[in-house]
Amino acid sequence: MEKIGKLVTKIFKNNFPLTFLIAWLLSCGALLAQGFTDISKEAGLEHYFEVYEGMFGGGVAVLDFNNDGFEDLYLTGGMQPDQLLLNQGDGSFEDQLEKAGMLKVLDFVTQGVAAADFNRDGFKDLFITTITLKNKKQKIPRAQNLIFINQGDGTFVEESVAFGLDQTSSFSTGVAVGDVNRDGYPDVYVGNYFTDYDGGLKEISDATIVNAGKTAKGYLYINRKGKKLVESYEDYGLNHRGFSFGGVFTDFDNDHDMDLIVNNDFGYKAKPSYLLENQYPKKGFKYVEKSQGMDLRINAMGAATADVDGDGWLDYFITNIRFNRMMVRDSIAPTPFVDQANSYGLELFTISWGAVFADFDLDGDEDLFVSNGDLNPNCVPMHNFYFEKQGSKFEEKSLNVGLRDYGLGRGAAIFDLENDGDMDLLLINQKAVMQYGTETVSRLYRNENKTGNYLKVKLHGTQSTPSGFGARIETFVQGHRQTREIDGGNSSHLSHNSTIAHFGLGEHTQVDSLKITWPGGFQQKFIEVPVNQLLEVKEPNYSHPSNFPWKTLIIISIIVVAILKFRASFMVKS
Amino acid sequence: MNYFCGFGLMKRSLLLLVLGVVQCDSLPDGIPDHEVAAQWADMTLHITKDTPANSPTFASRCLGYIGLTQYEAVVHGFPEYQSLVGQLSGLEELPLPEANARYSWPMVLNRAESEILASIYIQTSNQNKKKIDSLEKRIYAILKKSTDQATAERSNAFGTALARAIFEWSTTDGGHRGYLNNFDTDFKKEPFPGSWKPPLFAQSFSHHPLHPYWGENRPFAPQNKNLPLPDFISYDPKEGSSYYDQFLKVYEKERQLTQEEKELAIWWSDDPDVTFSPGGHLYYLANAMVRKNQPTLIHSAQTFARVGMAVADAFINCWKWKYHFFSERPNTFIPQFIDQKWESFWPDPPFPAFPSGHAIQAGAAATVLISLYDNKTAIIDSAHVGRERDHVRNTEFVAQSFDSIWQIALETADSRFFGGIHTPQDNQVGLEQGSIIANNIVILAWKK
Repeated sequence: MEKIGKLVTKIFKNNFPLTFLIAWLLSCGALLAQGFTDISKEAGLEHYFEVYEGMFGGGVAVLDFNNDGFEDLYLTGGMQPDQLLLNQGDGSFEDQLEKAGMLKVLDFVTQGVAAADFNRDGFKDLFITTITLKNKKQKIPRAQNLIFINQGDGTFVEESVAFGLDQTSSFSTGVAVGDVNRDGYPDVYVGNYFTDYDGGLKEISDATIVNAGKTAKGYLYINRKGKKLVESYEDYGLNHRGFSFGGVFTDFDNDHDMDLIVNNDFGYKAKPSYLLENQYPKKGFKYVEKSQGMDLRINAMGAATADVDGDGWLDYFITNIRFNRMMVRDSIAPTPFVDQANSYGLELFTISWGAVFADFDLDGDEDLFVSNGDLNPNCVPMHNFYFEKQGSKFEEKSLNVGLRDYGLGRGAAIFDLENDGDMDLLLINQKAVMQYGTETVSRLYRNENKTGNYLKVKLHGTQSTPSGFGARIETFVQGHRQTREIDGGNSSHLSHNSTIAHFGLGEHTQVDSLKITWPGGFQQKFIEVPVNQLLEVKEPNYSHPSNFPWKTLIIISIIVVAILKFRASFMVKS
Repeated sequence: MNYFCGFGLMKRSLLLLVLGVVQCDSLPDGIPDHEVAAQWADMTLHITKDTPANSPTFASRCLGYIGLTQYEAVVHGFPEYQSLVGQLSGLEELPLPEANARYSWPMVLNRAESEILASIYIQTSNQNKKKIDSLEKRIYAILKKSTDQATAERSNAFGTALARAIFEWSTTDGGHRGYLNNFDTDFKKEPFPGSWKPPLFAQSFSHHPLHPYWGENRPFAPQNKNLPLPDFISYDPKEGSSYYDQFLKVYEKERQLTQEEKELAIWWSDDPDVTFSPGGHLYYLANAMVRKNQPTLIHSAQTFARVGMAVADAFINCWKWKYHFFSERPNTFIPQFIDQKWESFWPDPPFPAFPSGHAIQAGAAATVLISLYDNKTAIIDSAHVGRERDHVRNTEFVAQSFDSIWQIALETADSRFFGGIHTPQDNQVGLEQGSIIANNIVILAWKK
């Protein structure tokens, strides 16, 4: 071995051009082993999102709808048909929208999508947002949203009326799922862009039309035992409006409940973005965006969640027009969020929509994919970003890894296409309204990574939601911490990532310890977890922390006892 | 003792309260003529500002008709003046008052303004329609005290007929109900070097430009129909070219804005979502001139007619040229050729740059005002006083004062340069063309 080394050194010393060539070849080999391949064609993916009158969309949700262990996809199409893509296990997909009985969705111009087991029957259902009807020209584009309940036999039944979604006509964008009241049933937050109408639009006058462009309130749907979604905006203290791309459920303050980031477009002109702190166990949210430095006055399109500085507090990458924001929170204090896009090397000029953190190269830190695209119909090609984490900074390497697509990028999501332990990527591209310099169609990228170990963790909630939305998973390897939060959707612009947590581990052959913090704070710990496996964890039975105010009761009892004693001694004396 | 004292006090304050209510409700015995015109201008501005989806284009058009209605409502009461029938594009006929019958001309104006406002702003809220109605009733009640029943009825009937005829004529100008299609999603224009791009730092969510066909609308003055194209410095992105230099000036100015310049930039921002738009701002200043000078009824009405039609015609031509040249904003050129991280102080409106709409309207309004008032009039502009400060730009809304009417035009134009959304040539050409357009309003035969 040593001899070969010496030989190579000798060749390098004596023949510079050859050295260069070899180095180049080696680096090419390394790149091939790390990059992505666009396998849209071979996988049978034929999709693009078509906008309705220059508006927005669309997204993709990851779900294993037939529970065969391979993650499937749902893609919104806007004016084009949506697609329910069954993962056939061999790296290819088959559109089963019709077979699954979902043709009703074709009547609607769809936008965003999230997957959750709303009725806790063991199969993931679909919540799809819409902006208008497809075949009926409406003066004011509005429509109800849709819920499709998975029947467990490969089909879905549309149950929007039963769930109570037909009561409003809205211009809805992103949908996110999280258990707001910790009853185990996934609740829903829907963002609306333009003002909505209760009970539909019966009479349309000039006055109705000019009012239609106003900012909108969102919807907070509380799930009632998997049978109904009850709009509870005011009940939970919400009163905000905005040109909204929806919210992201996340626990920003580490108190084990689902807070909500609401992303608003035109924050500098209309309403800024919001941060809502869940007051659980009290019912309601509190607006804390100002004190937390999250009242962003930008064109907030989406958010991606990660602990970029490894301090155990979550940070948020917020996509925007021109320059994105990396909102980082310091663990000491903790302080309000501060934009550190520049110091992280993330401040590059573009127009961004979807964004998702994942350890794509399995080296033990999270990289960041950002899908970019011009405002349509402007149509100036701009490429996506692949930010590889290198130490404490990111480096844009979309060209090196084969992700430099110039399409009109919008939503994106990560999942493990072939269960080989690395994160693959589905990117939604819009069809260009005007002439466009290059092809712009949705892409499926297969991660070609051949090095690095991984661990995947799939949660099975029993008291929590079945997918464990909002649960926190941390791995510790030689003191190095990595954190994941189970994604409730709309994190990557109208899209929903895989709910299986994924960790890259580099050369490490075991995870020293693994900590799962379920919503509510119950913790489960595992030590010396072997790598390169899918670890499935069922939420154990533990006593549910009750809402009953034990502390207050104990204090009152002490006071009462004290008074009684005092009175007794007083009476004895007198 | 104490008890009774307290009761007495309560009784007295109750009495005062009742008196107060009576006083509030009691109508004055009269109202100055110019004040009738001014109060309708106030109402016009409220409706302009408070009607959703109003655009600077549609608002300017309405000011033209609403101002003209003031003039036509009273012109027959002033023998040395004449109607503009036969002088304006397509206006061949309007109802005439009965010969030798008595009219209350302020009452005609009162009825006609109420009618035209409620018709041309049919899309405004019911609450606003009630406000229009209340103002009419109040002014009518005041005037009625000194007007006999027959004259009052005759005046109202004439006011109604006149306003309806003007409204009918307005429906054929190309801008009728323009608010229904502010952003034409079918409008497409192939991009070319230097062409307008949907703003990345935008005032509006639309990626389509506002009212692309507004330039084809019928202007009030026939002479404003076929004006020659103004000169435009041709596209050349090379450093040192005249074109480049225009943007460099915007860029350099933005780097060194003083607080006063920032105040000026937001003062004239006239965002149609929250204000009465630039045309309304100039109508507001016309109203300030009327209140300051307290002229005759015909002079007051003429002020609003001239300013209204001047800003309307200015915008028609402005839009024609904006879509002819389809020129880019500094926010498109500067990040591409000068500084990628640059952003204008004020966000881009959703339409092409050349020439500046603010400059052309201000040039036009100032020109007609100078034709009616002494240019050396000192004016205080309180249009936006009391508005909540601009948090994003950390700037207050501070009243502006002007030494002359023309200074209004210059500062309006400058404000767009400070805001970083217009180049010097956009403003210069705007002011020049605004003057030309206004002159075509001034030279109409207003007097016999």
